[in-house]
Amino acid sequence: MPDPRTTGAIRYSQDVEMKGMLHARFVRSSVAHARIVSVDASQVRDGVVVLLPEDVEDLGLYGCQIKDQAALPQDRVRYAGDVVAAVAAESEAEAEEAANLIDIEYEELPAVFDALEAVSEEAPIIHDLGDLPETVAYFGIRPQRGTNVCHLFRLRHGDVGAGFEGADVVVEETYYTAGATHAPMEPHAAVARWEGDRLIVETGTQTPFNMRADLAGLFGIEEEKVRVISRPMGGSFGAKTFVRTEAIAACLARKSGRPVRAVLGRDEMWVTLNRHPATVRVKLGVKRDGTLVASETECWADTGAYADCGPGVAQKMGFAAPGPYSIPHVTVDARAVYTNLPPNGAFRGYGQMQSTWARERTMDLLADRLGMDPLELRMKNLLRDGDAYCTGETMHDVHFEDLLQRAADAVNWSESRKNKGLCVMLKGMQTPSRAAIAVEAGEDGTYIVRCATTEMGQGTTKAVRMMAAALLGVDVEKVSCPDPDTDIVPFDTRTTSSRSTHMMGRALEVAVADLKENGRHGYGEVVDEGGLDPDTGQGVASSHWHQGAAAAEVEVDEETGTFDVVRLHAPIYAGRVVNRPAAELQNEGSMIMGLGTARFESNEFVEGQISNPNFSDYNIPAMDDMPSALSHELVEREDAEVQGLGETALPPVPPAIGNALYSRGIHVTELPISAERVLDAVDARDGRDEPAASHGHDGEPGEHVFASESLEETATSENGSGMARPLLLGTLFAGLLALVLYLLLRRTDEVGR
Amino acid sequence: MGLRFRVNGRDVEVEARPDEMLLDVLRRELGLRSVRQTCGIGVCGACTALLDGGPISTCILLAPLAEGREITTVEGLGGNHPVQRAFVEAEAFQCGYCTPGMILTAKRLLEEDPKPTSQKIRTYFGGNLCRCGCYAKIEDAVNLAAIAAAPDRGPA
Repeated sequence: MPDPRTTGAIRYSQDVEMKGMLHARFVRSSVAHARIVSVDASQVRDGVVVLLPEDVEDLGLYGCQIKDQAALPQDRVRYAGDVVAAVAAESEAEAEEAANLIDIEYEELPAVFDALEAVSEEAPIIHDLGDLPETVAYFGIRPQRGTNVCHLFRLRHGDVGAGFEGADVVVEETYYTAGATHAPMEPHAAVARWEGDRLIVETGTQTPFNMRADLAGLFGIEEEKVRVISRPMGGSFGAKTFVRTEAIAACLARKSGRPVRAVLGRDEMWVTLNRHPATVRVKLGVKRDGTLVASETECWADTGAYADCGPGVAQKMGFAAPGPYSIPHVTVDARAVYTNLPPNGAFRGYGQMQSTWARERTMDLLADRLGMDPLELRMKNLLRDGDAYCTGETMHDVHFEDLLQRAADAVNWSESRKNKGLCVMLKGMQTPSRAAIAVEAGEDGTYIVRCATTEMGQGTTKAVRMMAAALLGVDVEKVSCPDPDTDIVPFDTRTTSSRSTHMMGRALEVAVADLKENGRHGYGEVVDEGGLDPDTGQGVASSHWHQGAAAAEVEVDEETGTFDVVRLHAPIYAGRVVNRPAAELQNEGSMIMGLGTARFESNEFVEGQISNPNFSDYNIPAMDDMPSALSHELVEREDAEVQGLGETALPPVPPAIGNALYSRGIHVTELPISAERVLDAVDARDGRDEPAASHGHDGEPGEHVFASESLEETATSENGSGMARPLLLGTLFAGLLALVLYLLLRRTDEVGR
Repeated sequence: MGLRFRVNGRDVEVEARPDEMLLDVLRRELGLRSVRQTCGIGVCGACTALLDGGPISTCILLAPLAEGREITTVEGLGGNHPVQRAFVEAEAFQCGYCTPGMILTAKRLLEEDPKPTSQKIRTYFGGNLCRCGCYAKIEDAVNLAAIAAAPDRGPA
C-alpha cells in the first residue's frame, strides 16, 4: 500500500469531521494589557453559539506547570491575542463573520514586553500568584511572590567567588536570542464533544495525558471522564503540547451540545505559543593554561503572559548552561518571567539553544583572550566518563571529545581556522519520567502495540513498531500501533524531550518478555527517577544526556553584512539507531531549523502586537537556504542504549555560525544574525561606532571583551586577507548602497515565492 | 454559483460562492484533503494543485477562475506514480503535510526539465516550504524520479 503521506490519504486533526459539527472562531484582544470593561455580542445573529467570559465563570484554571489561565480571562487580558470570547457556527465563514461582530471595550493598563524590564520594581505585575500550593501544578516551581518571576531556578556548585579570585582571565558577555515561532505546517486543530458527562477531544497533541489532566482540572471532573485521542500532526516542534485550542473548543461544545472544531489561522499561531526570547549573561574564569575554574550564568526567559512550561524551559536553560565542561565552581540563576507578550513554551531544543549560544560564543572570546585554539580550549575542559557534572551527578556514556573532533575535522580545522566556528553542547532528557506500553497478540500472527507515543512526523511510531517486531521476531508489517487514545493506552509522561524511542524501547522489552511468558498480552513499564532541587540545582538533571557538536564555515561580505553558510556539519551521539531514515531526517531537520534561528527567524512586536505573523514577513528556511554542503553524523556505539536525537542538532548550529564570524573578529551577540548586526559588529571591530543593535548588558566594563584589536590582528596576520582600514572606510558608502539594493531584491524574491 | 472543472480526470460540477478560493471548494465539495489550508497567502505550497499541468496555490485562486480547466491533485496520481515512488524510496518526508505539493511540483519540474541541476531544483521549490526540513532528501527524490524517467541519462 502506498504511503498515505504521498497520496494525501493521511488524516490530521485538521481533517476530522463529525456529524452536526460546528466551526469555532476566537475573538482576540487587540491590546496587550487591559481590564475588560464589557463584551457586547448583541449584533451576532441567532443560531450562532457565543461563548463569553461569564459562561466559564464556574470553571477552574489550567496550566501545565502553574495554573494561571482561565478558559476565557475573567478580569483582564494579558497580551494582544488573548482570547476574550469565541463563537461556533455552521460554517467557518459564518463563524468568522460572527466573531467580527463582537465588540469589546477595554481600559488599558501599563504593559511590559521585555523580561529584564519585567523584573524591575516599576513593572506592572501580570499575575497575582496567590497561594502557592493551589496554583503550582508541578513540584519544584519557585514563583517569586509580588514579582513577575514565575520560577527561579538556582544551581550552586563549589565556591564561585573563590573560583573567579583564582582565575587568570575572566570574560563576561550578555547575549540575546529573539523569540521564534514553531511554524508547523499544520496549524493547531482540535475537535471537542461531550457524551453525557464525558468530554472527548480529538486533537494533534504531543501530550495526551497532560491534556487529559489539565482539562479534567478545568472542568472539575475526574480524569477518566476526559478522553483524548491524538491524531497525526502536520509538524509540531513543541507547539502542540499541553492545552492550546482544546479548552475553548470544549467550552463551546458544552454550551452548544454539539461537536466543535477549532482550527487556527496562520496568524493566530504567533499568538498561541512561541519560543522564549531570552537574555543570558555568562561569566567564565580560566587559568592561563586554559583550565576553566569558574562559571556564572544568569538567564531571563521571557515566558509571556501565561507560564505554560516556561518554568521548565528556564530550568533546563539553566542547568545545561555551564555546558559539557568540568568546572569546579558554578552558579546559575535562571528565571522564567511573565511579560505581556504571547505565551512561550516548549520549542525543539527546550532552552538549550539560548544558553548554548551564550556559553559557546563566550568560549571563543575566552580562547581569543588566551591566544588559544578554540578547539584546544574546549578539548582541555570537556567532561569525560565518570566525571561529575555541576549538578552532582556522574556522567556516563560521554562522547563530547569524539563529537567535537568529528565536527572540527569536517571543516579541516587543523589546516585553517579562518571563517570557521565550532560548538559542543549537552541537553537533558525529561527526568523523572515514566513510560508504559502494552502488546497484544492477534489471531493471525499480527500484534497491536498500544502506547501514548504521538506521531508528528518524527517517525517514532515506526521506530516502536520496528523495535517490537525485532523483539517478537516478526516482520514490521505484522505490528500495528494505532493513534494514542487515553481510554486505551497506558500512561506515558509525554512525547517530548527526545525521550520516546529511548523510553518506549525499554518499556517494550519488558512488555514483550511479559507477553512471551503470559500468552496474548504483555505490559511493560519503566520509570526514571531523578530531578533537581530548584534551590541548589543538585540531584539528577537527566537520566541520560543528549550530546552534540557542530562546525560551520561561512563566506562573509563585510561591506553589506551578508554572509553564506557554505558548510555545516553536526555529529550527534545516537547510541544505537533504530529507524535510520527517520533519524537522519530528524538530524537534518534540526540543523535546518537551527539555520533559520541563526540567520533570520525573529518574532517582531510593536507595543506587544506581533507585526510579522505570516510566511511572507517571517521567513522559515526554504530549499535554497540550505548550505551547499550540509552533512551530519549519527555516532553509534556497539551495545549502546537507544539515545534520543530529535532536537540535539539544533542548538549547536547558531553558535557554530556565530563563532565562524568571530574567527574574523565579527562578534555578534544577538540572534538572529542579521546583516545589520554583522555590519554593526564589523564597525565595532574596526573601532567605528558602538554596535547599534547591541542589547543591554550589565557586566563590568573592564571585564568585557570586545573583539577589536587582537582579533583584527589575528585575522590579518594569519591569513593575510584583512582589508586595510582606509579602503574599508572608502567602500562603506558603496557597501550600504549595495545592502539596500540587496534587501530590495531579496524582498522581491520572497514575495515571488 | 455552479462551476465545472475537470478534476483528476473526471468532469465535475460543484456549487460555490463566487468569492471562494479553489482550495475550499476542492476540500468541501470534492473531499480532496491533500490540498491543505495553512499559510493562506500563496507562499508555502501546502495547497498546491496543478492547473492545466502547472503548479498553483489554490488558497489564493478564486474558484471561478478555474472554471473549465483541468485540475490535478495528488489523489489523481493514484499512488504508484514514479514521482510518488521516488519520494518513498528517498524517504523524503516526515509529517507529510507538504508532501503532496512537493510531489506535484516535482512532477511539473521534471516535465519542464528532465535533468534539473541542483540549483534549478532548489530554486524551483522556493514556493514549497517544509518545516520538518526534509529538503536534502526531497532533492534526492527529484533526482531519483529523473533517473527513473530516463535511466540512461544518469543524474545531473
